Amino acid sequence: MSVVDYGYAVWAPLIWIIALVVIGVMVLIWRSRGQKSYKKGTAQTDIFLSGAKVPPEEERHVKSENIYWGFFESLKELYGAMMRPHTGIVNDYLLWFVGVLAVTVAILVLAG
Amino acid sequence: MNLKVFNRALWVYHMNTGSCNGCDIEILAVLTPRYDVERFGIKLVGSPRHADVLLVTGPVGRSMEDSVKRVYAQVPDPKVVMVVGNCGAEGGVFHEAYSLIGPVDQIIPVDVYVPGCPPRPEAIIHGVVTAWVKLEKLAKQEVA
Repeated sequence: MSVVDYGYAVWAPLIWIIALVVIGVMVLIWRSRGQKSYKKGTAQTDIFLSGAKVPPEEERHVKSENIYWGFFESLKELYGAMMRPHTGIVNDYLLWFVGVLAVTVAILVLAG
Repeated sequence: MNLKVFNRALWVYHMNTGSCNGCDIEILAVLTPRYDVERFGIKLVGSPRHADVLLVTGPVGRSMEDSVKRVYAQVPDPKVVMVVGNCGAEGGVFHEAYSLIGPVDQIIPVDVYVPGCPPRPEAIIHGVVTAWVKLEKLAKQEVA
């Protein structure tokens, strides 16, 4: 058996395996002593979500955009104002481009 | 009281269906050192799936109907429903209010009523013991 002694700790794979097996057996014994009067296939084995209806499995995952929920929530006024002009229509974008260009040219001419 | 069949700790799931919190505070008082029912193995649990007793407070608003039915269905057998307070028993001060679908026994079967507004902790303890005796009878029936 290979034992690595670091001075302050020991790494021995066999000890780890034995420990895991012992813990696993203890867990199984503990589990076998649990409540057995559940009726399988009924609501008694459903997920408990504080009494709320549990959505189907495919809708239960956390989307990556949920990570930014607080960010969007705190800046929702800014995002609301920014998203309104974004119609997705090229004509609108070109109109914005021409408008901003005109204002910039006007400022440069007046300031120059 | 001699429990032979249901001879284990009694776990209770507490559900508030629109209570003013008066009854809920008295339920918590039952757990304080003055009454300390946990020394008898009676404790509140966080999930109906772990519970033997479903303890309901409040008159049951319309929006709570589905939740009450769902939570009741999730309690494993044998189970007992216990209502604490006048509101859950017959509506209390909210009796015949437009927003109510209750009292509780209009939605799920109730086994033990503890009246009061709010009931005293001693009354709640008596109700829990009554529920325990009922569970013993139900457990006996299941064994038989």
